[in-house]
Amino acid sequence: MRRSWRKGLGNAFGVLATSGLLLALLALGTMIATTALQAGKLTAMDAMAQAGLALSLRSVDLPGLGFLSYVVAAQVDANSAAAQVGLSQGDVIVAVGGRPVGRPNEVWGAVKARGEGPATIAWIPKPEKLWGRLQAVARPERAGEFCVTLTSIPAGSKAQEAGLQPGDVLISVGDLPVTGTRQAWEAVVAAVRSGLEEVPLEIEREGKRLKLSLHPVQRTEIPFQLDFFGAWWRFLTRIGDPRYPERTGLLSALVGSLLVVGVMALFVFPLGVGAAVYLEEYAPKNWFTEAVQILIANLAGMPSAVVGIFGLEIFARSWGLGRSVFAGGLTLALLILPQTIIATREALRAVPRWVREAAASLGATPWQVVRFHVLPYALPGIFTGFILALARALGEAAPLLLLGAFLYVTFVPKSLMDSFTIVPLQIFDWATKPQDGFSCVAAAAIIVLIITHLALNSLAIFLRNRYQRRWT
Amino acid sequence: MKGKGASLAETTQSFLVENPIFEIRQLSVWYKAQQVLKDVTMDIPEKQVTAIIGPSGCGKSTFLRSLNRMNDLIPGMRAEGQVFFRGLNIYARSVDPVEVRRRIGMVFQVPNPFPKSIFENVAFGLRINGFNGDLKAKVQWALERAALWDEVKHCLHKSAFELSGGQQQRLCIARALAVEPEVLLMDEPCSALDPIATAKIEDLIHELKREVTIVIVTHNMQQAARISDYTAFMFLGEVLEFAPTGLLFTKPKDPKTEAYLAGRFG
Repeated sequence: MRRSWRKGLGNAFGVLATSGLLLALLALGTMIATTALQAGKLTAMDAMAQAGLALSLRSVDLPGLGFLSYVVAAQVDANSAAAQVGLSQGDVIVAVGGRPVGRPNEVWGAVKARGEGPATIAWIPKPEKLWGRLQAVARPERAGEFCVTLTSIPAGSKAQEAGLQPGDVLISVGDLPVTGTRQAWEAVVAAVRSGLEEVPLEIEREGKRLKLSLHPVQRTEIPFQLDFFGAWWRFLTRIGDPRYPERTGLLSALVGSLLVVGVMALFVFPLGVGAAVYLEEYAPKNWFTEAVQILIANLAGMPSAVVGIFGLEIFARSWGLGRSVFAGGLTLALLILPQTIIATREALRAVPRWVREAAASLGATPWQVVRFHVLPYALPGIFTGFILALARALGEAAPLLLLGAFLYVTFVPKSLMDSFTIVPLQIFDWATKPQDGFSCVAAAAIIVLIITHLALNSLAIFLRNRYQRRWT
Repeated sequence: MKGKGASLAETTQSFLVENPIFEIRQLSVWYKAQQVLKDVTMDIPEKQVTAIIGPSGCGKSTFLRSLNRMNDLIPGMRAEGQVFFRGLNIYARSVDPVEVRRRIGMVFQVPNPFPKSIFENVAFGLRINGFNGDLKAKVQWALERAALWDEVKHCLHKSAFELSGGQQQRLCIARALAVEPEVLLMDEPCSALDPIATAKIEDLIHELKREVTIVIVTHNMQQAARISDYTAFMFLGEVLEFAPTGLLFTKPKDPKTEAYLAGRFG
């Protein structure tokens, strides 16, 4: 009776544990899958950037047509593939590979769907290229009213093809009355975005109303290279232009993370192992060491934000280290040190007492016992604990956020007193940006972080399995 | 009443030792609040085998470990009284326990080689003691004295854990002998071994006593009778009787000794 009750409880715990494990795996899988899906656009973004284009979202709100968004070439590199086909800054991209596009995400999606090779880009030239400069001219016959007039038509332009001439007054574009120079061009974009290939124009020439039709869309082929490894390599190794997601890079954050964690490791390893050896092998068992142990256990559980505040107040302000790599490393050290001490003590405790006795019975001093026996035998365990602590430090954002580390810096930190950012903060920065594409680079940076973590944890498991001693 | 430096006449020792290597005077040991050894006073003769017998928990091991100050390593252990080693009180303030352990070696109950090679196990004591002669020759010398050389000479760099239990225990003896201690303390060295390995260790003890003083704790009365020259019987932290082995086993003076030897308790 009692037995079966216990057995039932055991089964219940078994079910709980199994479902917990399954849930964890499911969560991890979903996390990685969604992140990978987001980061999948990286290749397409890179292909676009390699063709020389940086994209930006614009929108227009015209009476009768409502709110429309469109993609504008925010930057076109000189001598790039895009520049060679005549694209320049300010041109509007309306379709890629036959797919109409209204925002950068759709452009990259179309490039990705199109695959390798040249893709046809449909674009509307910027006003200067489409119909030259427009001028608002006062109407002598009606006081206070203006009309929009063409001044000079560029040779070979779409306006010339449509038969427009200098001095023509634009009355309406795509059935919308023209009210301004910019609005006239936006009306062209809006008409094309709502599906028109031919935009009807009404003009006034020498007092007569004329109806013309404008074909504003140009079609050119740009060879896109979808280069997966190249895209990642460029993403990881450039500082880039933080304004555009397809041109930004992780280098500065990677170097910042490595430097900060390096400074942390330099402090934590000797201090942590030294403290653990002292507490485990030398310290007398009295109220003072008891108190120190309780303190360490408490520090290990301290919220990382509190550690950040401490770092800000002591390292950054009192010691005058500012928001430097050095201050960041010290702050992280404070967070990781207790954890390292605890892990090291566990590893030291796993060395059986008879080893110490055997060495001592041969006339080894306490230091020789530690130096030649306890420490070497505990080292795999110490390294395992330390690597796991390193992985945690690499993923910590809160303490350094409170320290005042920058969200992005446009240089690679070169000295310990330089400002810095770290990968988690860079992710935080990108993830909170509203523009298309930043969620993708944030996801890519998260994947870098996940891979680093998996690699470090695997290394820890490998070290443990390969070098841990069995005491038989 | 026993004052400081009580004479042997007042103790349980029934004979006079001419050349004592240890003169133990009123040695008491506490573990936290519990007294484990009570006023032990006895002399241990040089280059002889002295066996300590007694029922479980009577303080045999504690007594043995107090002869080279191994008890210092256990927190909560505290000793009072004197142990003179060649006339020097090893519990005096000026004495370094590390130095004591260099001259008084120890072999433990369970074979405890280091997780290193056979060679390194023996060489460790030499290295930390600043030995600067021929390390290989000295390791061979120690292994030969422990009657292990012929079995391991071809595999000196194998892990010590690959040896059998008996071989491991002889390796531990070789490790202790390498630093040429004057005394070898053995804490039930055969209790984890089979009869054949035990016989080998007993033969070894016979060989070694020509050069080294041996104090051996044993749970096995027959073993004490076979290998020792003197035997002390301990009971509840006290040495009840200390006599030449033949005498103790044939004509015990204390009724408790007699009862123990007859197997009425143990």
